[in-house]
Amino acid sequence: MIELDQVTKIYKGEVLALYSVSCKISKGEFVFLVGPSGSGKSTFLKLLNRQETADQGAVWIAGKEVGALPRSSVPKLRRLVGCIFQDFKLLPNRTVYENVAFALEVTGRSRQQVRTQVPSLLELVGLSKKTHSYPHELSGGEQQRVSIARAFVNRPPILLADEPTGNLDGDTSNGIMRLLAEINKRGTTVVMATHDQHIVNAARRRVLRLDRGRLTADDAQGRYA
Amino acid sequence: MAISLGYVFRETRGNLRWNVTLFAATIVAVWVSLTLFGSSLLIREGVEQATGRWQGGIEFIVFMNADASEAQHAAIRGALDENPEIDGYDYVDQQGAFNEFITEFADRPELIENVTPEILPPSYRVKPSVGDADVIEALAAQFDARPGVRQVTLPVEVIRTLQQNSQKVSVFVLIIAIVVLLAALMLIANTIRTAIFARRQDIEVMKLVGASNWYVRLPFMVEGTIQGLIGGALAIPMLFLMNNLMAGFVQDDYLELLRSLVVDSAVVWNTSLLVTGIGAAVGVVGSLFAVGRFLDV
Ligand SMILES: Nc1ncnc2c1ncn2[C@@H]1O[C@H](COP(=O)(O)OP(=O)(O)OP(=O)(O)O)[C@@H](O)[C@H]1O
Ligand SMILES: [Mg+2]
Repeated sequence: MIELDQVTKIYKGEVLALYSVSCKISKGEFVFLVGPSGSGKSTFLKLLNRQETADQGAVWIAGKEVGALPRSSVPKLRRLVGCIFQDFKLLPNRTVYENVAFALEVTGRSRQQVRTQVPSLLELVGLSKKTHSYPHELSGGEQQRVSIARAFVNRPPILLADEPTGNLDGDTSNGIMRLLAEINKRGTTVVMATHDQHIVNAARRRVLRLDRGRLTADDAQGRYA
Repeated sequence: MAISLGYVFRETRGNLRWNVTLFAATIVAVWVSLTLFGSSLLIREGVEQATGRWQGGIEFIVFMNADASEAQHAAIRGALDENPEIDGYDYVDQQGAFNEFITEFADRPELIENVTPEILPPSYRVKPSVGDADVIEALAAQFDARPGVRQVTLPVEVIRTLQQNSQKVSVFVLIIAIVVLLAALMLIANTIRTAIFARRQDIEVMKLVGASNWYVRLPFMVEGTIQGLIGGALAIPMLFLMNNLMAGFVQDDYLELLRSLVVDSAVVWNTSLLVTGIGAAVGVVGSLFAVGRFLDV
Protein backbone atom coordinates (compact mmCIF):
# COMPACT_ATOMS: atom_id res chain seq x y z
CA MET A 1 0.00 0.00 0.00
CA ILE A 2 2.73 2.47 1.05
CA GLU A 3 6.38 2.04 0.19
CA LEU A 4 9.38 4.31 0.62
CA ASP A 5 12.51 3.38 -1.25
CA GLN A 6 15.69 5.12 -0.05
CA VAL A 7 13.93 8.43 0.27
CA THR A 8 15.98 11.54 0.94
CA LYS A 9 14.48 14.96 1.46
CA ILE A 10 16.62 18.08 1.69
CA TYR A 11 14.87 21.41 2.23
CA LYS A 12 16.30 24.41 0.40
CA GLY A 13 19.36 22.42 -0.55
CA GLU A 14 20.71 22.41 3.00
CA VAL A 15 18.31 21.09 5.66
CA LEU A 16 18.48 17.31 5.65
CA ALA A 17 15.00 16.24 6.80
CA LEU A 18 15.00 12.60 5.72
CA TYR A 19 17.95 10.48 4.71
CA SER A 20 17.64 7.24 2.75
CA VAL A 21 14.47 6.07 4.46
CA SER A 22 13.04 2.76 3.27
CA CYS A 23 9.97 0.98 4.61
CA LYS A 24 6.77 -0.75 3.63
CA ILE A 25 3.34 -0.32 5.21
CA SER A 26 0.66 -2.82 4.26
CA LYS A 27 -3.03 -2.31 3.79
CA GLY A 28 -4.95 -2.09 7.04
CA GLU A 29 -1.94 -1.43 9.27
CA PHE A 30 -1.81 1.10 12.09
CA VAL A 31 1.66 2.61 12.31
CA PHE A 32 3.14 5.13 14.74
CA LEU A 33 5.84 7.47 13.55
CA VAL A 34 7.91 8.66 16.51
CA GLY A 35 11.06 10.66 17.05
CA PRO A 36 12.26 13.89 18.56
CA SER A 37 11.20 17.24 17.27
CA GLY A 38 12.75 17.96 13.88
CA SER A 39 13.47 14.29 13.18
CA GLY A 40 11.40 14.36 9.98
CA LYS A 41 8.00 12.94 10.98
CA SER A 42 5.94 15.65 9.33
CA THR A 43 8.18 15.53 6.30
CA PHE A 44 7.58 11.76 6.06
CA LEU A 45 3.81 12.35 6.01
CA LYS A 46 4.02 15.28 3.58
CA LEU A 47 5.77 13.08 1.06
CA LEU A 48 2.82 10.70 1.15
CA ASN A 49 0.21 13.25 0.01
CA ARG A 50 2.60 15.20 -2.18
CA GLN A 51 2.77 18.32 -0.09
CA GLU A 52 6.48 17.79 -0.65
CA THR A 53 8.43 15.70 -3.11
CA ALA A 54 11.47 13.53 -2.43
CA ASP A 55 14.85 14.70 -3.67
CA GLN A 56 16.12 11.15 -4.00
CA GLY A 57 14.45 7.77 -3.91
CA ALA A 58 10.80 7.06 -4.55
CA VAL A 59 7.52 7.02 -2.65
CA TRP A 60 4.89 4.55 -3.83
CA ILE A 61 1.22 4.56 -2.91
CA ALA A 62 -1.21 1.97 -4.25
CA GLY A 63 1.27 1.07 -6.99
CA LYS A 64 1.87 4.64 -8.19
CA GLU A 65 5.01 6.66 -7.73
CA VAL A 66 3.83 9.77 -5.89
CA GLY A 67 6.67 12.05 -6.95
CA ALA A 68 6.14 11.21 -10.61
CA LEU A 69 2.41 11.97 -10.68
CA PRO A 70 1.45 14.78 -13.00
CA ARG A 71 0.05 17.81 -11.21
CA SER A 72 -3.42 17.05 -12.47
CA SER A 73 -3.43 13.70 -10.65
CA VAL A 74 -2.52 15.13 -7.27
CA PRO A 75 -6.16 15.81 -6.24
CA LYS A 76 -6.96 12.15 -6.89
CA LEU A 77 -4.03 11.09 -4.70
CA ARG A 78 -5.23 13.35 -1.91
CA ARG A 79 -8.66 11.76 -1.94
CA LEU A 80 -6.89 8.43 -1.54
CA VAL A 81 -4.82 9.76 1.32
CA GLY A 82 -6.88 11.57 3.95
CA CYS A 83 -4.89 13.88 6.17
CA ILE A 84 -5.35 15.14 9.71
CA PHE A 85 -3.15 18.17 10.16
CA GLN A 86 -1.36 19.16 13.31
CA ASP A 87 -2.94 22.63 13.04
CA PHE A 88 -6.32 21.27 11.89
CA LYS A 89 -6.47 23.48 8.79
CA LEU A 90 -10.22 24.00 9.04
CA LEU A 91 -11.82 26.65 6.85
CA PRO A 92 -12.64 29.42 9.35
CA ASN A 93 -15.63 30.81 7.47
CA ARG A 94 -17.45 27.51 7.23
CA THR A 95 -19.45 25.62 9.74
CA VAL A 96 -18.49 22.16 10.96
CA TYR A 97 -20.96 20.71 8.48
CA GLU A 98 -19.63 22.79 5.58
CA ASN A 99 -16.03 21.94 6.38
CA VAL A 100 -16.72 18.24 6.21
CA ALA A 101 -19.10 18.54 3.28
CA PHE A 102 -16.51 20.40 1.25
CA ALA A 103 -14.18 17.42 1.17
CA LEU A 104 -17.01 15.32 -0.23
CA GLU A 105 -18.26 17.89 -2.71
CA VAL A 106 -14.88 18.28 -4.37
CA THR A 107 -14.91 14.58 -5.12
CA GLY A 108 -18.03 15.20 -7.18
CA ARG A 109 -20.40 13.49 -4.76
CA SER A 110 -24.07 14.38 -5.20
CA ARG A 111 -25.86 16.71 -2.83
CA GLN A 112 -27.93 13.79 -1.64
CA GLN A 113 -24.86 11.73 -0.72
CA VAL A 114 -23.38 14.73 1.07
CA ARG A 115 -26.58 15.17 3.07
CA THR A 116 -26.54 11.63 4.36
CA GLN A 117 -22.81 11.02 4.78
CA VAL A 118 -21.78 14.19 6.58
CA PRO A 119 -24.20 13.80 9.52
CA SER A 120 -23.28 10.14 9.97
CA LEU A 121 -19.59 11.10 10.08
CA LEU A 122 -20.26 13.89 12.57
CA GLU A 123 -22.11 11.34 14.64
CA LEU A 124 -19.09 9.04 14.53
CA VAL A 125 -16.77 11.76 15.84
CA GLY A 126 -19.40 12.85 18.36
CA LEU A 127 -20.06 16.32 17.00
CA SER A 128 -23.70 16.05 15.99
CA LYS A 129 -24.57 18.87 18.35
CA LYS A 130 -21.98 21.20 16.84
CA THR A 131 -23.03 20.79 13.23
CA HIS A 132 -23.61 24.48 12.67
CA SER A 133 -20.83 25.89 14.82
CA TYR A 134 -17.86 27.66 13.31
CA PRO A 135 -14.32 26.44 14.06
CA HIS A 136 -13.55 29.35 16.40
CA GLU A 137 -16.49 28.33 18.53
CA LEU A 138 -14.98 24.88 19.14
CA SER A 139 -12.43 23.58 21.62
CA GLY A 140 -9.12 22.19 20.33
CA GLY A 141 -10.32 18.62 20.73
CA GLU A 142 -13.52 19.37 18.87
CA GLN A 143 -11.63 21.02 16.03
CA GLN A 144 -9.37 17.99 15.89
CA ARG A 145 -12.41 15.77 15.55
CA VAL A 146 -13.83 17.93 12.73
CA SER A 147 -10.52 17.53 11.00
CA ILE A 148 -10.72 13.75 11.47
CA ALA A 149 -14.28 13.69 10.13
CA ARG A 150 -13.18 15.68 7.09
CA ALA A 151 -10.18 13.45 6.46
CA PHE A 152 -12.29 10.32 6.69
CA VAL A 153 -15.57 11.43 5.10
CA ASN A 154 -14.81 10.07 1.66
CA ARG A 155 -13.51 6.83 3.16
CA PRO A 156 -9.92 7.07 1.98
CA PRO A 157 -7.93 3.83 2.11
CA ILE A 158 -5.10 5.72 3.83
CA LEU A 159 -5.29 8.18 6.70
CA LEU A 160 -2.33 10.30 7.80
CA ALA A 161 -2.45 11.94 11.20
CA ASP A 162 0.19 14.47 12.23
CA GLU A 163 0.16 14.70 16.02
CA PRO A 164 -3.62 14.44 16.23
CA THR A 165 -3.42 14.50 20.03
CA GLY A 166 -0.92 17.35 20.03
CA ASN A 167 -2.31 19.79 22.56
CA LEU A 168 -5.12 17.76 24.02
CA ASP A 169 -5.57 16.42 27.54
CA GLY A 170 -5.42 12.71 28.34
CA ASP A 171 -9.12 11.93 28.06
CA THR A 172 -9.57 13.84 24.87
CA SER A 173 -6.48 12.13 23.44
CA ASN A 174 -7.89 8.75 24.32
CA GLY A 175 -11.12 9.68 22.61
CA ILE A 176 -9.24 10.62 19.46
CA MET A 177 -7.25 7.39 19.61
CA ARG A 178 -10.42 5.33 19.92
CA LEU A 179 -11.73 7.12 16.87
CA LEU A 180 -8.60 6.38 14.85
CA ALA A 181 -8.67 2.76 16.01
CA GLU A 182 -12.29 2.54 14.89
CA ILE A 183 -11.41 3.99 11.50
CA ASN A 184 -8.50 1.57 11.23
CA LYS A 185 -10.84 -1.33 12.08
CA ARG A 186 -12.98 -0.37 9.09
CA GLY A 187 -10.01 -1.15 6.87
CA THR A 188 -8.21 2.18 6.56
CA THR A 189 -4.42 2.20 6.82
CA VAL A 190 -3.42 4.74 9.47
CA VAL A 191 -0.02 6.43 9.81
CA MET A 192 0.22 8.64 12.86
CA ALA A 193 3.10 10.88 13.87
CA THR A 194 3.23 11.52 17.59
CA HIS A 195 5.26 12.57 20.62
CA ASP A 196 2.80 10.99 23.01
CA GLN A 197 4.54 8.07 24.67
CA HIS A 198 1.55 6.98 26.74
CA ILE A 199 -0.50 6.48 23.67
CA VAL A 200 2.23 4.62 21.83
CA ASN A 201 2.98 2.41 24.78
CA ALA A 202 -0.67 1.63 25.39
CA ALA A 203 -1.48 0.80 21.79
CA ARG A 204 1.20 -1.82 21.17
CA ARG A 205 1.26 -1.22 17.47
CA ARG A 206 4.01 -1.02 14.92
CA VAL A 207 6.41 1.86 15.61
CA LEU A 208 8.72 3.54 13.11
CA ARG A 209 11.37 5.65 14.78
CA LEU A 210 13.07 8.56 13.10
CA ASP A 211 16.19 10.29 14.36
CA ARG A 212 17.64 13.24 12.53
CA GLY A 213 16.05 12.05 9.33
CA ARG A 214 17.17 8.43 9.58
CA LEU A 215 14.90 5.49 10.21
CA THR A 216 16.49 3.95 13.31
CA ALA A 217 13.92 1.38 14.42
CA ASP A 218 10.92 -0.51 13.10
CA ASP A 219 9.24 -2.62 15.81
CA ALA A 220 6.13 -4.65 15.17
CA GLN A 221 4.75 -4.05 18.67
CA GLY A 222 6.92 -1.20 19.69
CA ARG A 223 7.17 1.11 22.65
CA TYR A 224 7.98 4.79 22.56
CA ALA A 225 11.36 4.78 24.23
CA MET B 1 -15.31 15.21 -13.68
CA ALA B 2 -18.18 17.61 -14.10
CA ILE B 3 -18.48 20.33 -11.50
CA SER B 4 -22.06 20.77 -10.37
CA LEU B 5 -23.68 24.15 -10.80
CA GLY B 6 -25.05 23.86 -7.30
CA TYR B 7 -21.54 23.60 -5.91
CA VAL B 8 -20.32 26.66 -7.82
CA PHE B 9 -23.40 28.60 -6.80
CA ARG B 10 -23.08 27.74 -3.11
CA GLU B 11 -19.36 28.42 -3.05
CA THR B 12 -19.78 31.76 -4.79
CA ARG B 13 -22.57 32.75 -2.45
CA GLY B 14 -20.47 31.75 0.53
CA ASN B 15 -17.53 33.79 -0.78
CA LEU B 16 -19.75 36.82 -1.24
CA ARG B 17 -21.18 36.54 2.22
CA TRP B 18 -17.85 36.37 3.92
CA ASN B 19 -16.01 38.79 1.78
CA VAL B 20 -18.43 41.68 1.48
CA THR B 21 -15.84 44.42 1.91
CA LEU B 22 -13.37 43.02 -0.56
CA PHE B 23 -16.20 42.11 -2.89
CA ALA B 24 -17.44 45.70 -2.78
CA ALA B 25 -13.90 47.05 -3.15
CA THR B 26 -13.46 45.22 -6.41
CA ILE B 27 -16.80 46.47 -7.70
CA VAL B 28 -15.90 50.03 -6.83
CA ALA B 29 -12.52 49.68 -8.53
CA VAL B 30 -14.19 48.37 -11.67
CA TRP B 31 -16.88 51.00 -11.49
CA VAL B 32 -14.61 54.02 -11.10
CA SER B 33 -11.97 52.94 -13.55
CA LEU B 34 -14.41 51.87 -16.23
CA THR B 35 -16.31 55.13 -15.83
CA LEU B 36 -13.07 56.98 -16.53
CA PHE B 37 -12.24 54.76 -19.46
CA GLY B 38 -15.75 55.00 -20.90
CA SER B 39 -15.73 58.78 -20.50
CA SER B 40 -12.53 59.15 -22.45
CA LEU B 41 -13.99 56.98 -25.21
CA LEU B 42 -17.08 59.19 -25.29
CA ILE B 43 -14.99 62.35 -25.43
CA ARG B 44 -13.06 60.94 -28.35
CA GLU B 45 -16.29 60.03 -30.08
CA GLY B 46 -17.56 63.56 -29.39
CA VAL B 47 -14.44 65.15 -30.86
CA GLU B 48 -14.76 63.15 -34.07
CA GLN B 49 -18.42 63.93 -34.32
CA ALA B 50 -17.86 67.62 -33.72
CA THR B 51 -15.11 67.72 -36.33
CA GLY B 52 -17.49 66.18 -38.82
CA ARG B 53 -20.08 68.81 -38.00
CA TRP B 54 -17.68 71.72 -38.25
CA GLN B 55 -16.34 70.41 -41.50
CA GLY B 56 -19.89 69.99 -42.75
CA GLY B 57 -20.47 73.68 -42.07
CA ILE B 58 -17.60 74.78 -44.31
CA GLU B 59 -18.38 76.40 -47.63
CA PHE B 60 -16.50 77.92 -50.51
CA ILE B 61 -17.50 80.97 -52.47
CA VAL B 62 -17.62 81.25 -56.26
CA PHE B 63 -17.43 84.98 -57.15
CA MET B 64 -18.79 85.81 -60.62
CA ASN B 65 -17.75 88.72 -62.78
CA ALA B 66 -20.07 91.65 -62.23
CA ASP B 67 -20.91 91.51 -65.94
CA ALA B 68 -21.22 87.75 -66.27
CA SER B 69 -23.92 86.78 -68.74
CA GLU B 70 -27.12 85.01 -67.80
CA ALA B 71 -25.93 81.99 -69.81
CA GLN B 72 -22.74 81.83 -67.78
CA HIS B 73 -24.77 81.95 -64.56
CA ALA B 74 -27.05 79.20 -65.82
CA ALA B 75 -24.04 77.02 -66.66
CA ILE B 76 -22.63 77.46 -63.17
CA ARG B 77 -25.95 76.66 -61.55
CA GLY B 78 -26.32 73.57 -63.70
CA ALA B 79 -22.86 72.38 -62.70
CA LEU B 80 -23.60 73.02 -59.01
CA ASP B 81 -26.89 71.12 -59.21
CA GLU B 82 -25.35 68.13 -60.96
CA ASN B 83 -22.32 67.68 -58.76
CA PRO B 84 -22.90 64.93 -56.16
CA GLU B 85 -20.18 66.33 -53.94
CA ILE B 86 -22.19 69.49 -53.44
CA ASP B 87 -24.99 69.59 -50.93
CA GLY B 88 -26.48 72.91 -51.94
CA TYR B 89 -25.70 76.56 -52.49
CA ASP B 90 -27.03 80.06 -51.90
CA TYR B 91 -26.94 82.78 -54.50
CA VAL B 92 -26.04 86.26 -53.30
CA ASP B 93 -26.82 88.87 -55.98
CA GLN B 94 -25.23 92.27 -56.33
CA GLN B 95 -27.75 93.94 -54.05
CA GLY B 96 -27.19 91.21 -51.47
CA ALA B 97 -23.43 91.65 -51.72
CA PHE B 98 -23.90 95.39 -51.27
CA ASN B 99 -26.01 94.84 -48.15
CA GLU B 100 -23.33 92.60 -46.69
CA PHE B 101 -20.71 95.19 -47.57
CA ILE B 102 -22.65 97.89 -45.75
CA THR B 103 -23.02 95.74 -42.67
CA GLU B 104 -19.39 94.79 -42.64
CA PHE B 105 -18.01 98.30 -43.11
CA ALA B 106 -20.67 100.16 -41.16
CA ASP B 107 -17.94 102.02 -39.29
CA ARG B 108 -16.24 103.21 -42.47
CA PRO B 109 -18.69 105.42 -44.32
CA GLU B 110 -15.96 106.68 -46.73
CA LEU B 111 -15.72 103.16 -48.19
CA ILE B 112 -19.46 102.75 -48.51
CA GLU B 113 -19.75 106.08 -50.29
CA ASN B 114 -17.56 104.87 -53.13
CA VAL B 115 -19.32 101.57 -53.67
CA THR B 116 -22.45 100.82 -55.63
CA PRO B 117 -24.17 97.43 -56.09
CA GLU B 118 -23.17 97.39 -59.79
CA ILE B 119 -19.48 97.04 -59.14
CA LEU B 120 -19.79 94.26 -56.60
CA PRO B 121 -19.53 90.65 -57.83
CA PRO B 122 -22.49 88.36 -57.31
CA SER B 123 -21.54 85.04 -55.73
CA TYR B 124 -22.55 81.44 -55.05
CA ARG B 125 -21.99 80.19 -51.48
CA VAL B 126 -21.43 76.48 -52.01
CA LYS B 127 -21.80 73.78 -49.35
CA PRO B 128 -19.80 70.69 -50.21
CA SER B 129 -21.12 67.35 -48.96
CA VAL B 130 -17.64 66.26 -47.92
CA GLY B 131 -15.30 67.74 -45.35
CA ASP B 132 -12.00 66.64 -46.79
CA ALA B 133 -9.70 69.53 -47.69
CA ASP B 134 -8.29 67.88 -50.82
CA VAL B 135 -11.71 67.13 -52.25
CA ILE B 136 -12.92 70.67 -51.63
CA GLU B 137 -9.81 72.09 -53.22
CA ALA B 138 -10.34 70.02 -56.39
CA LEU B 139 -13.99 71.01 -56.43
CA ALA B 140 -13.14 74.69 -56.18
CA ALA B 141 -10.57 74.37 -58.98
CA GLN B 142 -13.30 72.98 -61.29
CA PHE B 143 -15.36 76.14 -60.87
CA ASP B 144 -12.43 78.49 -61.05
CA ALA B 145 -11.87 77.47 -64.68
CA ARG B 146 -15.43 78.17 -65.83
CA PRO B 147 -16.32 81.22 -67.95
CA GLY B 148 -17.76 84.16 -66.06
CA VAL B 149 -16.05 83.15 -62.81
CA ARG B 150 -13.89 85.83 -61.36
CA GLN B 151 -12.45 83.99 -58.39
CA VAL B 152 -13.10 81.07 -56.07
CA THR B 153 -12.17 81.51 -52.44
CA LEU B 154 -12.05 78.57 -50.13
CA PRO B 155 -10.97 78.16 -46.51
CA VAL B 156 -8.59 75.29 -47.21
CA GLU B 157 -6.19 76.44 -44.52
CA VAL B 158 -9.03 76.48 -42.01
CA ILE B 159 -10.08 72.97 -43.01
CA ARG B 160 -6.55 71.65 -42.86
CA THR B 161 -5.96 73.12 -39.44
CA LEU B 162 -9.26 71.77 -38.21
CA GLN B 163 -8.51 68.32 -39.57
CA GLN B 164 -5.04 68.27 -38.11
CA ASN B 165 -6.11 69.58 -34.75
CA SER B 166 -9.04 67.27 -34.41
CA GLN B 167 -6.82 64.38 -35.39
CA LYS B 168 -4.35 65.43 -32.74
CA VAL B 169 -7.04 65.79 -30.11
CA SER B 170 -8.52 62.46 -31.10
CA VAL B 171 -5.19 60.65 -30.88
CA PHE B 172 -4.43 62.40 -27.62
CA VAL B 173 -7.75 61.40 -26.07
CA LEU B 174 -7.28 57.86 -27.36
CA ILE B 175 -3.89 57.69 -25.66
CA ILE B 176 -5.49 58.93 -22.45
CA ALA B 177 -8.21 56.32 -22.82
CA ILE B 178 -5.64 53.58 -23.25
CA VAL B 179 -3.60 54.78 -20.29
CA VAL B 180 -6.78 54.95 -18.20
CA LEU B 181 -7.70 51.45 -19.35
CA LEU B 182 -4.28 50.11 -18.38
CA ALA B 183 -4.51 51.80 -15.00
CA ALA B 184 -8.02 50.39 -14.64
CA LEU B 185 -6.86 46.89 -15.46
CA MET B 186 -4.04 47.11 -12.96
CA LEU B 187 -6.29 48.53 -10.27
CA ILE B 188 -8.93 45.86 -10.79
CA ALA B 189 -6.39 43.05 -11.00
CA ASN B 190 -4.75 44.31 -7.84
CA THR B 191 -8.01 44.50 -5.93
CA ILE B 192 -8.91 40.99 -7.00
CA ARG B 193 -5.45 39.84 -6.01
CA THR B 194 -5.83 41.37 -2.58
CA ALA B 195 -9.19 39.70 -2.13
CA ILE B 196 -7.82 36.34 -3.15
CA PHE B 197 -4.62 36.80 -1.19
CA ALA B 198 -6.79 37.08 1.90
CA ARG B 199 -8.09 33.64 1.07
CA ARG B 200 -4.86 31.90 0.16
CA GLN B 201 -5.08 29.65 3.19
CA ASP B 202 -8.56 28.56 2.20
CA ILE B 203 -7.24 27.74 -1.23
CA GLU B 204 -4.37 25.76 0.27
CA VAL B 205 -6.74 23.77 2.46
CA MET B 206 -9.08 23.11 -0.43
CA LYS B 207 -6.19 21.72 -2.40
CA LEU B 208 -5.02 19.62 0.55
CA VAL B 209 -8.38 17.91 0.94
CA GLY B 210 -8.27 16.95 -2.71
CA ALA B 211 -10.03 19.71 -4.63
CA SER B 212 -8.91 19.93 -8.25
CA ASN B 213 -7.81 23.30 -9.56
CA TRP B 214 -11.10 23.90 -11.34
CA TYR B 215 -13.07 23.30 -8.17
CA VAL B 216 -11.11 26.07 -6.52
CA ARG B 217 -10.99 28.38 -9.51
CA LEU B 218 -14.51 28.30 -10.78
CA PRO B 219 -16.28 29.98 -7.85
CA PHE B 220 -13.62 32.71 -7.85
CA MET B 221 -14.08 33.24 -11.56
CA VAL B 222 -17.83 33.46 -11.19
CA GLU B 223 -17.29 35.95 -8.39
CA GLY B 224 -14.93 37.99 -10.59
CA THR B 225 -17.45 37.97 -13.43
CA ILE B 226 -20.22 39.17 -11.16
CA GLN B 227 -18.01 41.95 -9.81
CA GLY B 228 -16.96 42.99 -13.31
CA LEU B 229 -20.54 43.00 -14.55
CA ILE B 230 -21.86 44.98 -11.59
CA GLY B 231 -18.98 47.47 -11.75
CA GLY B 232 -19.42 47.84 -15.50
CA ALA B 233 -23.19 48.18 -15.18
CA LEU B 234 -22.76 50.88 -12.53
CA ALA B 235 -20.53 52.77 -14.96
CA ILE B 236 -23.37 52.99 -17.49
CA PRO B 237 -25.46 55.58 -15.64
CA MET B 238 -22.25 57.53 -15.02
CA LEU B 239 -21.58 57.71 -18.74
CA PHE B 240 -25.12 58.86 -19.46
CA LEU B 241 -24.85 61.36 -16.64
CA MET B 242 -21.67 62.79 -18.13
CA ASN B 243 -23.17 63.02 -21.58
CA ASN B 244 -26.30 64.67 -20.22
CA LEU B 245 -24.30 67.13 -18.15
CA MET B 246 -22.60 68.28 -21.34
CA ALA B 247 -25.93 68.43 -23.10
CA GLY B 248 -27.05 70.68 -20.25
CA PHE B 249 -24.60 73.34 -21.46
CA VAL B 250 -26.83 73.85 -24.50
CA GLN B 251 -29.08 75.93 -22.28
CA ASP B 252 -26.14 77.49 -20.56
CA ASP B 253 -24.67 78.66 -23.85
CA TYR B 254 -21.30 79.38 -22.43
CA LEU B 255 -19.24 76.24 -22.63
CA GLU B 256 -19.50 75.90 -26.39
CA LEU B 257 -16.79 73.29 -26.64
CA LEU B 258 -18.30 70.84 -24.13
CA ARG B 259 -21.66 71.19 -25.75
CA SER B 260 -20.31 70.10 -29.08
CA LEU B 261 -18.95 66.93 -27.48
CA VAL B 262 -22.40 65.54 -26.68
CA VAL B 263 -22.97 62.28 -28.47
CA ASP B 264 -25.98 60.18 -29.39
CA SER B 265 -27.42 57.94 -26.69
CA ALA B 266 -26.84 55.02 -29.08
CA VAL B 267 -23.13 55.80 -28.92
CA VAL B 268 -23.31 55.90 -25.12
CA TRP B 269 -25.01 52.51 -25.15
CA ASN B 270 -22.34 51.02 -27.37
CA THR B 271 -19.63 52.37 -25.12
CA SER B 272 -21.53 51.06 -22.10
CA LEU B 273 -21.71 47.56 -23.55
CA LEU B 274 -18.02 47.66 -24.35
CA VAL B 275 -17.21 48.86 -20.86
CA THR B 276 -19.37 46.21 -19.19
CA GLY B 277 -17.85 43.54 -21.39
CA ILE B 278 -14.37 44.69 -20.43
CA GLY B 279 -15.44 44.63 -16.78
CA ALA B 280 -16.61 41.04 -17.00
CA ALA B 281 -13.53 39.97 -18.95
CA VAL B 282 -11.17 41.61 -16.48
CA GLY B 283 -13.10 40.00 -13.63
CA VAL B 284 -12.72 36.51 -15.10
CA VAL B 285 -9.14 36.81 -16.24
CA GLY B 286 -8.08 38.73 -13.13
CA SER B 287 -9.39 36.13 -10.73
CA LEU B 288 -8.09 33.31 -12.89
CA PHE B 289 -4.57 34.68 -12.61
CA ALA B 290 -4.92 35.72 -8.98
CA VAL B 291 -6.07 32.25 -7.92
CA GLY B 292 -3.41 30.60 -10.05
CA ARG B 293 -0.65 31.89 -7.84
CA PHE B 294 -1.96 29.95 -4.86
CA LEU B 295 -3.04 26.73 -6.53
CA ASP B 296 0.40 25.26 -6.58
CA VAL B 297 0.09 23.48 -3.24
N1 LIG C 1 9.49 23.96 4.61
C1 LIG C 1 10.69 23.76 5.21
N2 LIG C 1 11.74 24.46 4.82
C2 LIG C 1 12.95 24.27 5.40
N3 LIG C 1 13.17 23.40 6.37
C3 LIG C 1 12.14 22.66 6.79
C4 LIG C 1 10.83 22.80 6.24
N4 LIG C 1 10.00 21.95 6.85
C5 LIG C 1 10.76 21.28 7.76
N5 LIG C 1 12.03 21.70 7.74
C6 LIG C 1 13.13 21.19 8.53
O1 LIG C 1 13.22 19.81 8.30
C7 LIG C 1 13.49 19.11 9.49
C8 LIG C 1 12.41 18.06 9.76
O2 LIG C 1 11.19 18.75 9.98
P1 LIG C 1 9.83 18.02 10.32
O3 LIG C 1 8.77 19.04 10.35
O4 LIG C 1 9.66 16.89 9.38
O5 LIG C 1 10.11 17.46 11.77
P2 LIG C 1 9.10 16.78 12.79
O6 LIG C 1 9.70 15.48 13.15
O7 LIG C 1 7.73 16.80 12.26
O8 LIG C 1 9.21 17.76 14.03
P3 LIG C 1 8.07 18.11 15.13
O9 LIG C 1 7.96 16.92 16.00
O10 LIG C 1 8.62 19.29 15.85
O11 LIG C 1 6.81 18.40 14.38
C9 LIG C 1 13.58 20.17 10.58
O12 LIG C 1 14.94 20.45 10.78
C10 LIG C 1 12.86 21.36 10.01
O13 LIG C 1 13.44 22.55 10.47
MG1 LIG D 1 5.89 17.78 12.76
